[in-house]
Amino acid sequence: MTLMQKARLKSLWVLHFDCGSCNGCDIEVLAALTPKFDVERFGIVNIGDPKQADVLVVTGPANRRNQRVLRNLYEQMPEPKLVIAVGTCACTGGVFHNCPNIIGGVDKVVPVDVYVPGCAARPEQIIDGVVLAIKKLAGEAPEEDEG
Amino acid sequence: MNTETLIAVNIGLPIVSALASLLLGDRRERAGVVYVTVAVLVASSLLLYGAGGLELNPGDVFGTAVVALDFALLIYFMYQGYVNRSWQVLALSLAQLIPAAYFEFIVEGAHVEKILVVDGLSILLTLIINIVGSMVVIYALSYMDEHEHHLYLERSRQSRFFFYMLLLLAAMNGLVYSNSLYWVYFFWEVTTLCCYELIRHDGTEEAQRNALLALWMGLIGGVAFVAAMFVGYSAVNSIALTELMAAPLSQGLLLVFALAALAAFTKSAQFPFHSWLMGAMVAPTPVSALLHSSTMVNAGVYMLLRIAPAIQDTALSYVVAFMGAVTFTVTSVLAIRQRVSKRILAFSTIGNLGLITLCVGVNTGLSYSAALTLLTFHSVAKGLLFMGAGVVENKIGSKDVEDWEGLLGRLPLTTAVMIAGMASMFLPPFGMLLGKWVAVDAVASTPLLYGLPLVFLVVLGSGATTFYYAKWLGYLTVLPNGAKRTPERLETPYRVALYTLLGVDVLVSVGAALLLSNMVNPITAASYTLQMSTPMGGVDLGFTSFPVLPLWAAGAAVLLTGSWLAKSKGGAVATPYLGGENVADREVTFMTTADSEVAANVSGLFLASSIDEKWLDRLAVYLGTAIIVALFVAEVV
Amino acid sequence: MDYPETLISATLALATPLIGGLLMGVDRKLTARMQERVGPPLVQPFYDAIKLWGKAPMIASGLQPVLAFGYLGFALVAAGLVTFRQDLLLVFFVTGIADICLTVAAFNAKSPYSFLGGRREFLAMLSYEPVMLLAYVAIFLVTGSFTIRGIYEYGAPLLLVLPAALVTLMIVLVIEMKKSPFDVSGSGHAHQELVRGVFTEFSGYTMALVELGHWTKLATTLMILSLFWVPNPVIGAAISLAMFFAALMVDNLYPRLTWQRMLRTTWTVGFALILVNVAALAAGGVI
Repeated sequence: MTLMQKARLKSLWVLHFDCGSCNGCDIEVLAALTPKFDVERFGIVNIGDPKQADVLVVTGPANRRNQRVLRNLYEQMPEPKLVIAVGTCACTGGVFHNCPNIIGGVDKVVPVDVYVPGCAARPEQIIDGVVLAIKKLAGEAPEEDEG
Repeated sequence: MNTETLIAVNIGLPIVSALASLLLGDRRERAGVVYVTVAVLVASSLLLYGAGGLELNPGDVFGTAVVALDFALLIYFMYQGYVNRSWQVLALSLAQLIPAAYFEFIVEGAHVEKILVVDGLSILLTLIINIVGSMVVIYALSYMDEHEHHLYLERSRQSRFFFYMLLLLAAMNGLVYSNSLYWVYFFWEVTTLCCYELIRHDGTEEAQRNALLALWMGLIGGVAFVAAMFVGYSAVNSIALTELMAAPLSQGLLLVFALAALAAFTKSAQFPFHSWLMGAMVAPTPVSALLHSSTMVNAGVYMLLRIAPAIQDTALSYVVAFMGAVTFTVTSVLAIRQRVSKRILAFSTIGNLGLITLCVGVNTGLSYSAALTLLTFHSVAKGLLFMGAGVVENKIGSKDVEDWEGLLGRLPLTTAVMIAGMASMFLPPFGMLLGKWVAVDAVASTPLLYGLPLVFLVVLGSGATTFYYAKWLGYLTVLPNGAKRTPERLETPYRVALYTLLGVDVLVSVGAALLLSNMVNPITAASYTLQMSTPMGGVDLGFTSFPVLPLWAAGAAVLLTGSWLAKSKGGAVATPYLGGENVADREVTFMTTADSEVAANVSGLFLASSIDEKWLDRLAVYLGTAIIVALFVAEVV
Repeated sequence: MDYPETLISATLALATPLIGGLLMGVDRKLTARMQERVGPPLVQPFYDAIKLWGKAPMIASGLQPVLAFGYLGFALVAAGLVTFRQDLLLVFFVTGIADICLTVAAFNAKSPYSFLGGRREFLAMLSYEPVMLLAYVAIFLVTGSFTIRGIYEYGAPLLLVLPAALVTLMIVLVIEMKKSPFDVSGSGHAHQELVRGVFTEFSGYTMALVELGHWTKLATTLMILSLFWVPNPVIGAAISLAMFFAALMVDNLYPRLTWQRMLRTTWTVGFALILVNVAALAAGGVI
C-alpha cells in the first residue's frame, strides 16, 4: 500500500448533508462523533465544506427541490470521493418513496458507494458503513495519484 | 556641470516652462514642453547629486525680485480673500504684509550673505521632488484629457493647470536651496499659491471652498514665518538658517524654531490642520499626487528636518514628536472608516507625515535617519498610489472603494501596480517598512518616560495601517468566476508614470543600503552620531539588523516557487461554496428559498459601529490645538 | 559564519512544519482525552495533509495557489529568522506577509464565508499585532536588543523579568491557533457560523499548503515562547509546551466570543499588563 493510499484510509473528511430527512438519522450520525463512539480516532472529521470533504454522508430522500443542491455539493467535492447513503429514506425513499415531491433514494441523483439502511440507522451501523467505505477506498488500489 | 548652473536650472527652468505652457494653447506643444522639462529636471537632479554642495549669493537683483514678488503675492491673496468673502484669508494676508514690509524696509533685516545653500538634505529633496514630481506631471497629461472629457469642458483649461503644476516644482526646488528665512518664506507662499489655485481648478463651489480652507491654513504658516523672522533677527541679528542654527540656543531662538514648527504643521497637515488636506481631495488627482502626498507636503517635514539638529534634547522637540505620534495614530484609525479611495490615501499621507514628524521630534541620529528613509519611500509610494487611484477613478467612473471590488480582473495592469504600491507601503522587504522598523527602534531607544507613550501610539497606528491597507488590497482581488475580461486601455503617459515610479520604488527598496550609505547617513552624520551601518546590502544598527537582500531573495523565491507550483498543479476553477445553491458557472449567483436568483454580494469592512469618525475628528482638532499651545509654552518651561 | 550552527538553524527552520504538525497531533489527542474520547493518532495531521495533496486540484482562481504557497513560504522565512536568531520585529513583519497572503487568498474567491472569515482574520490581526509589538519592545527595554541573539546574550531568564509579555504572547497564541474564545475566523468547530471561514475555498493541495503554513506558524510562535527561559532550553521548551497546553485548556473551557470582545480583551489586558510590568521594572531599576 502506498503512502497516499494509507493517508486516504487514515484521514476521511465527511460532509454531512440532510436531504429532507426527519433528522432521526442525522442525530445518529452526530452521535457517532460523540465521545461514546468517537469516530475521530479513525481520522474522520465532520468538515462542513464540500471542497475539503472526501465522503458525502446523505440522509433523507432526494426530492425535486433539493436534488439540485445535492448534485451541486457532490460536484464541488474533488476526487477521490465517496457517497454514503444513511437511513432507509436515503437508500430507497423509505416510507416516503411514493410521495409527490419525492424522486426516490439519493442514488437517483448522485452515485452511491455504500448504503446503510435503518430507520433510524444506529451509530454502530453507520460506523460499519464508513469502515466499508474505507475498505472500498483501499480496494481501489489502481486509483491514480495526483502529483 | 557645476552646482550653480544646476540649481539655476532646477529653479528657473520650471518657471520658464510654466509660462510657456500658460501661453501655448496647443496640447501637443504643451506636452512637448512638459516632456522636455521633465527630462532636464531629472537629469539635473541626478547631476546635482554628483556635483555636491555649495553656498552662494545669486545677486541683489534676485533678492529684490523675491521681495517684490512676495508683496505682489500677498496682495493677490488679499484680493482673493476680499472677492471670496473670506475674512481669515484677508486678515492673515494683512498680518503678513504689514510686518513683512516693516521688516524689509525699516528694519532692513532681510539681507543675507549666503542666500542659497545646497547640502545633502537639499539634494535628497531635489531628487524626490524632481523624479516623483516629473512622473506626476507626465501622468497629468493623460489624466487631464480624460478629466476634461468627463466634465464636458468646451475650452480646455490645461494651460492654467500645467502653469501651476510646473510653478510648484520650481517653488519646491527653490525652497530646499534657500538659506535666507525670507526666501524660504517666499517659496513657501508660492507653494501655498499653487495649492490654492490647483485645488480650485475645476471652479465648483466645493472646490473654491476647500481651496480657501487650504489657503488660510497655509497663511497661518506664512504669519508664523514672518514672526520668526522678527524674533530671529532680534535674537542673532540675522535671518540666515545657518546662523540661526549655529547660535547657542536661547529662548528667542526656541521661539523661532517653534514658529517654524507651527508653519511645518500647517503645510504637512498635522493636527489641528488636517482638514485642508482632506478637503483638497476634490482637486483633480494629479494635484493630490503632486502636492498632497509626495511633494508639497514634504515642505513641512523638510522644515522640521532642517531645524531638528538645533533643538535636540529640548521640550520643544518632544512636543513635535508627540504631535507626530498622535497624528499618526488617529489618522490611521480614521482611514479605516473611509470609503472614498482618495480619502483613505489622504489620511494615510497625513499619518505617515506624522510618523516622520515623530521621528524628527525624537531627534536622535537613528530617528533622523528613519525620518529621511520614511520621507523618501513615502513620497515615491504615495505618489504612485494616488496616480493609480486616479486612473481607476477615470476608468470605472467611481471614487467609492466599494466599486473597486474585483478590479484585478477588470483593470489588471493598473491594479497590479496598485497592489504592488500598497504592499510597498506596509510590508517588508520594501523600504517603507525598513523606515518604520528603524523608527520603532529609534523610538524604543529613547528614555522610558518619553519613549513609552510614543511607542504605544506607534504600535496602535501600525496595526491600524496594516488593517486598512490589507483589507483594501484583498478587496481588489475578489474575482467572480469566469469574469469576462475586457482589454484594458492604459495610455502611454499613464504607463510611463506608473511603471517608472513602481520601478523606482522597487529598485530603491532593494538598494536601500545604497540609499542609506550614500545619502541618508551622510546627512545624518553632519549633525548627529551615526548609529547605522550598511554591511552586505543590509542595515545594521548595532543592537539589531535588517538583512535586506536575503529577504528580497527569499520573497522572490517564495513567489516564484508558488507561481511554478500553481502552474504545474493547476486545477479546475470551481464555483465558490454557497451551501449548494450555486446557480450558474459564470456569475456567482445562488437560489434563495423563494426560488429567485440572487447575486452573491460581498462588501468591505469599515467598522462603522466601532469607530466614531466625528468624535475622532473633534478630538484631533482639540488635541492638536492643545499641542500647538504646548509648542509655545515649551519655550518658557 | 559557523557552519555547524548554520546547518542546525537551517534544518530546524525547515523542520518547523513537521514540529508543528506533531504539535497539532498532540493538540487533537489531548483535546480528545479532555473530552473522554480516544482521539486520533499523533501523526494524524500528516495523514490529513498527504490526503489533501492527493485530491484532484480545485482552485478558486489562478492567484489562489500562489498565495497559499506564499502563506507557507513566508511562514518558513519567519521560522528561519527565528532559528537564525534574528530581529523579532522582522519575524513579526514577515509573519504579517504570510497572514496577508492567506487573507487575500480568502478574499480572492467571491464566497461569503471565505470573505467573512477573511474580514474576521483582519480583525484578529488588528487585535494581536499592537500588543505583540509592545511585548517585543518590552523585551528590547530589558535586553537592549530586538534580536533573539540579544535575549541569549542577556542571560537571565525573561520569565522572571517580563511575565506580562509571556501572558500577552499566550493570548496571541490562542488567537493564532484559532482556539476558543478567539476562534472567530476559521476554527474547526465553527461550521454553523462560518463553514470553514477563512479556509472555505481552499481545497486539495492549496489546503495542504495552508495547513503546513499553520503548523509552521504554530511551531515558530512556540519557539519564541521558549525564549522566556534561555539559560536552560529544556525549561524553555517546557514553558512553551505549558503555554500550549494552557491554550488547549482554555479552548475546551470557553465558548467562542465576538470579535469586538476579542479586540477589547486583547488590547486592554495586553496593554495594561505590559505597562504595569514595565513600570515595575523601571521602579525597580532594572530598565
